[in-house]
Amino acid sequence: MDTKNKRILFIEDEEALRGAFGETFQRDGYTVFEASDGEDGMLIAKKELPDLILLDLILPKKSGFEVLKELRKNPDTKHIPVVVLTNLEGSEDVERALAYGATTYLVKANYSLDDLVAKIKSVLEHHSPAL
Amino acid sequence: MYMRILDSLNIKKQCAQYRVGLWQCPQFLFLIMGMIIIVAIAATNTLANRYVAPEIAALIVLALAGVLFVIGHMIVSAFDRVARSARSKSEFISIISHHLRAPLSAIKWQIDVLLPQNQSGRLQASESAKYLNAIRENNERMIFAVNDLLDVNRIEDNDIVLCPSAFSLVELSRGAVIKFSQLYPSRSFSLHIESEDITTMQVYADEEHIRRVIQHLMDNAACYSSEGSSIMVRIVPEEAFAKWSVADEGIGIPPQDQPRIFEKFFRAQNAARHQTGGLGIGLFVAKSLVKLSRGKIGFSSAPGKGSTFWFALPIVK
Repeated sequence: MDTKNKRILFIEDEEALRGAFGETFQRDGYTVFEASDGEDGMLIAKKELPDLILLDLILPKKSGFEVLKELRKNPDTKHIPVVVLTNLEGSEDVERALAYGATTYLVKANYSLDDLVAKIKSVLEHHSPAL
Repeated sequence: MYMRILDSLNIKKQCAQYRVGLWQCPQFLFLIMGMIIIVAIAATNTLANRYVAPEIAALIVLALAGVLFVIGHMIVSAFDRVARSARSKSEFISIISHHLRAPLSAIKWQIDVLLPQNQSGRLQASESAKYLNAIRENNERMIFAVNDLLDVNRIEDNDIVLCPSAFSLVELSRGAVIKFSQLYPSRSFSLHIESEDITTMQVYADEEHIRRVIQHLMDNAACYSSEGSSIMVRIVPEEAFAKWSVADEGIGIPPQDQPRIFEKFFRAQNAARHQTGGLGIGLFVAKSLVKLSRGKIGFSSAPGKGSTFWFALPIVK
């Protein structure tokens, strides 16, 4: 799949992670938007309407769960696939994120950047927005 | 009140809290033990009445009931302690693994970017330095987290060795203010000493422990205040104690969270929203170390205006 026109929003409070992610995904032809907290993430999501959102759960100002709920309520953003990317792994967190409408749930520590590129590509290929 | 009583009678719910099977659950075992005691008493009563005088039979039954009840209670209490401890350890491991995994996954990604095979063009020297610095910072975060967790473990096992000596709180604080001014250049740290006498005043405690207490309290002040705000360290004599305090202009602590602020792993709601990386053990460690040095610790706080944390140590005369 041609990823040149795909636009990804990465909502993550750790600056170094955003930098490494942006470097890798831009190298692969994606356009990357970055947000360092939940409120900023929500604003960019509504303004840019990206093709995919990568969302951390522990975020300043607005948690990832709150962002996910708002994204799913908003008619403009409810079809955007949201990949939760976090270090939380408790069954309650996974179930809650999926119940709120996360497309898939990934644990950061288990993914190298190359694995993540492959996973995102696969999500973008397989995601068919509900109409 | 009634709901709590009803909840305590709901054995299935109680056992689910311990995350153990029915036969390892203290409440269920207590119920079984009660039934065994009743059967044993009834059997003893029947046999005793057949072979001895009624007064002696009654005494035997009473004595047996008492002994069985005490043994039963001891067994169930022991089970309860083991189940609580297992649950607390599992929560502890879950918190540690999350807090170690955050810097570890950051390091993994930063190394990924630095690896030559992953670079489309060569990274500029400044870019490489940025990632190497981030790796070092994350490595330090892990070292701090592990040190804090080891402290918690030692405190809980009563395994802290004290090396008390007389030292100057002012000297210790001067060093800390210089260090924190470098670590947080966007905050304005100052040390306020009201009179020259305080400079020569010495306290008696474990200096290394008090250095860690100061670090935890100053780190909190910096983490939970905004850029450009001022943080003031003050030392004043108060009867037989030297009172050290750090006042910030930060987010403060909501009144409902204040009673729990020194609890292990507790983080105030606004703190978790402001700063996501905290482990919630700095204040627990600080309080434990001050108490071990026979000192006092406390705070005052107003949400949105700031907090002042203080500790007091005995002055050497």
